[in-house]
Amino acid sequence: MRILGIESSCDETAAAVVEDGVTVLSSVVASQMSTHGKYGGVVPELASREHLRAIVPVVREALDLSGTKLEDLAAIAATVGPGLVGSLLVGLTYAKSLSFATGVPLIAVNHIEGHIHATVLEARRAGTPVEFPAVALVVSGGHTHLFELREGFEYRLLGRTRDDAAGEAFDKVAKLLGYSYPGGPVVDQLSPLGDAAAVRFTFAKMKGNALDFSFSGLKTAVLRWVESHDMQAEIAARRALLRENPSPTPEQWLAATPQRTLDLLASFQRAVIAELLTRAAAAAESIAARSLIVSGGVACNSGLRAAAKAAGLPYPVYFPSVGLSTDNAAMIAAAAFPKLARGDFASLDIAAQANLTLA
Amino acid sequence: MPTYRTASEEETVALGERLARVLPPHGLVLLTGNLGAGKTTLAKGIVSGLGAAPAEEVSSPTFTLIHEYGNGRVYHVDLYRLEEPRELATLGLDELFERDALVLIEWGERFGRFLPAERTEIRIRAVDHDEREIEVTQSL
Repeated sequence: MRILGIESSCDETAAAVVEDGVTVLSSVVASQMSTHGKYGGVVPELASREHLRAIVPVVREALDLSGTKLEDLAAIAATVGPGLVGSLLVGLTYAKSLSFATGVPLIAVNHIEGHIHATVLEARRAGTPVEFPAVALVVSGGHTHLFELREGFEYRLLGRTRDDAAGEAFDKVAKLLGYSYPGGPVVDQLSPLGDAAAVRFTFAKMKGNALDFSFSGLKTAVLRWVESHDMQAEIAARRALLRENPSPTPEQWLAATPQRTLDLLASFQRAVIAELLTRAAAAAESIAARSLIVSGGVACNSGLRAAAKAAGLPYPVYFPSVGLSTDNAAMIAAAAFPKLARGDFASLDIAAQANLTLA
Repeated sequence: MPTYRTASEEETVALGERLARVLPPHGLVLLTGNLGAGKTTLAKGIVSGLGAAPAEEVSSPTFTLIHEYGNGRVYHVDLYRLEEPRELATLGLDELFERDALVLIEWGERFGRFLPAERTEIRIRAVDHDEREIEVTQSL
């Protein structure tokens, strides 16, 4: 049984066809497509107008690549929230129209649940399915959440960021130091070359839920460190490099980064990872979890993956592949499978929900 | 309007709650200040002071661009990721300004001339480690 997934909640316009909840037959993401020329070379960003431009060719390509006809589909799944209303509307409305025209049922999917299912799908495909109860850490530029996940995909919120998302901390620290956006990849590439114990970042104790995250203080601590270490010349040099070449190679970045800054990056990355893993492990302990699922764009971070492996946690930790970490539609189609089995269909008058929560 | 001083994050949230009572009920409020100044912290207080959501539910909209609270009574917007006015035009902010809603915008000063002239500006400045100076001005 094949499900077409459509995702347009933020910057990416994506479509995918997934069979039986495990086999990704196609997964097309407009901002990463090799055939940029075909769509005018525009990287979809922010705008519902850009989503509008991309949605039809992206869906068509996902269907073509998987050799699927609309009438072969068991369901059409679309992200209903959370996200920008204008962006969500494009994917959701297109999914509704396809559903209306073909009679194929519509399934509404929560974007955050989609991220969790990206990891669940790959664990199943690898023959090592996730065991429940599980803790899901969803960590990206816009989200940093901990959920309890029970059999039958029931969720309970255990913790979340009080201020900045973890991915946002990477982006802002990178920008502050003159690196490119998004900041996660460049910080991750340079961090292994620095001494992570060089700069000591401490996290303020928070009142309230001990499983909540906070990254704003860390961001400010990096800013203060930069202000007190006379780094303006090297930052200006990196900004100049970026103006000349919008995507410098890791070697070019390295040449523009003194050892002291490598140490700062390594220390910062280690602090973010420690904050994520400490709270995720505490969450897992609090519900006696049998597995930990990590998903979202920050799940690409190699330092986070290595630290999770080295932590010697008494349960398996699952990460998605890089392609399914960042926003994609295969995860939306995968999340729709349990709903298809339950007959949990959406009516055609369902509205996009900007503030949709998972639990 | 006067200038305020706060000595901690908690005090900044509390000031936001007090300001919520004296801000215009709808229209643009620019929150300006450097990285880490406390713009989102003050927004927490304003949103909570208006009874639109508890302070701890208000998080940074940097990546997500627009957060809505209290069924459209308050919008918390962040233009940090935007580079060009063209991108601003596609966000649909004009529609928000037409509503009966308070629209809090971080990093909006970069696009000042594309935003309504009738506005409240709240400038936040880090004085010391945790101390902040907060200045409110209204213009027509």
